[in-house]
Amino acid sequence: MIIRIDEYSDVPIYMQIRNQIVMGISSGELKGGEQLPTVRALALEIGINTMTVSKTYQLLKQEGYIMTDRKNGARVRDNIAKSGVMSEENKTELRRIVSEARLSGVPKTELKKLIDEFY
Amino acid sequence: MDWLVKLILAICIITSALVMLVLAFPKNPEKRKMIFGVRDNPKFHEGDAAKKVKALADSCRKSALIITAIICIATVILVLVPTTGVTMLALMLLVFALFLIAIPFGKGNTELKSLKKELGITKSGTVYADLKNTSVVHGLKMPWLILPNAIVFLETGFAVLIDFGVIKIVDTLAIEKYALTSVSASFLFVAVILVPVAYMMDNVRNTVISKDSNVNANYNRAKKKCWGDFFIAMSWVNALAIAVLMTLYMFIYNDIAILAGVLAYIAVLMAIVVIAAKLQASIEKRYERDTDLELLDDDDCWILGMFYYNPNDTRLNVEKRFGYGGTVNIAHPAGKVIMIILAVLLVFSIGFIIWAAATGNFDQLTINTPFG
Repeated sequence: MIIRIDEYSDVPIYMQIRNQIVMGISSGELKGGEQLPTVRALALEIGINTMTVSKTYQLLKQEGYIMTDRKNGARVRDNIAKSGVMSEENKTELRRIVSEARLSGVPKTELKKLIDEFY
Repeated sequence: MDWLVKLILAICIITSALVMLVLAFPKNPEKRKMIFGVRDNPKFHEGDAAKKVKALADSCRKSALIITAIICIATVILVLVPTTGVTMLALMLLVFALFLIAIPFGKGNTELKSLKKELGITKSGTVYADLKNTSVVHGLKMPWLILPNAIVFLETGFAVLIDFGVIKIVDTLAIEKYALTSVSASFLFVAVILVPVAYMMDNVRNTVISKDSNVNANYNRAKKKCWGDFFIAMSWVNALAIAVLMTLYMFIYNDIAILAGVLAYIAVLMAIVVIAAKLQASIEKRYERDTDLELLDDDDCWILGMFYYNPNDTRLNVEKRFGYGGTVNIAHPAGKVIMIILAVLLVFSIGFIIWAAATGNFDQLTINTPFG
């Protein structure tokens, strides 16, 4: 799976990595049980501080997407907890996206089509 | 036997100058991935920009050719004229004059960066990382690197034991005092540098050229294998050269035979560099059609296209843009230390040569060479 980091983005690097790993798990590019690189290796590969990658992994672990242990490092969780509920944060983000699309004149059907494609 | 020293120096200077010329100034730089250390861009091949790039490449190549020709002619003249302290000094300083060949390269780099700004090619600032290949793609066979360098260590130990009379194979009084130790130690110095550099190059960051992880893995593995094989070949040549030269010293001790050995060593090293550079170029060509991602535009971090300075990059070692192999990030604390050491060594070497010439030591040096 390819991770793309935009150095000039307003989104912090740790969040960009987190978002892309979540998208990778959702799309199936990262499968359950798949090994993730070590904090040091990924930091070296991107050329960033190890603390940044560590923060990403901690966040992903906290959110239940990955599990980490001393022996095996970081792995994608086999069974990610499905609450069936959308977080308030994501609802706000979705509302912003829908509002912007509406103001830009994007038809509702087009938006639904995109949701179907990404889901 | 001063002519022998002069001849070896001259061959080293001329071959190094030619290798630098071929590597830094290819015939069609506009067809390469990097033009004077600046990443190629489709806009460089459109209309007036294409003409400007072509004219710049031609002018820089012409300047480099003139500098190379002057160095080569000066070297030949200095070999032919009678040896004095001044001619030896001039010949040794010509080794450092090789750096002058890089001036047109730096000029080309600066002008291309200006052209980029003119064309409105902005820095994209996008970094790609392939999760699947992170830290797992390697091409260096470590045992094959360790083995020849371990042999060099053993050979050096053997030479020391012979020189100090612990092992008696030949009459050490018949050969130059500590000649075996000094010869083997110089090769050991090369071995000590080769191992960490090879390890660093094998752990250099993977380049992400495609959305397909397999393509990235194959591309990086091929490149790292090429580097690994290069360092292994250098190590074996080093181990073999020390054995051959020690044998020549101990059993033949003939100046011509020793000169032939040294020349063969230089020729093989140069051939390895050229073959490795050609292989690298063929790998780049092979994977050009598989490249579907826009690579990171970090041209501004490359000072004159040769020195990497990027405070936002935590890596120490990076792939070179000029020549073959890798270099260090000068913004990294360890990189700063390495560059300071290299600068001090360079200044010290030039100062030492001038001091040696001024105090008349060159006459003594030419007489006391291991060649006679």
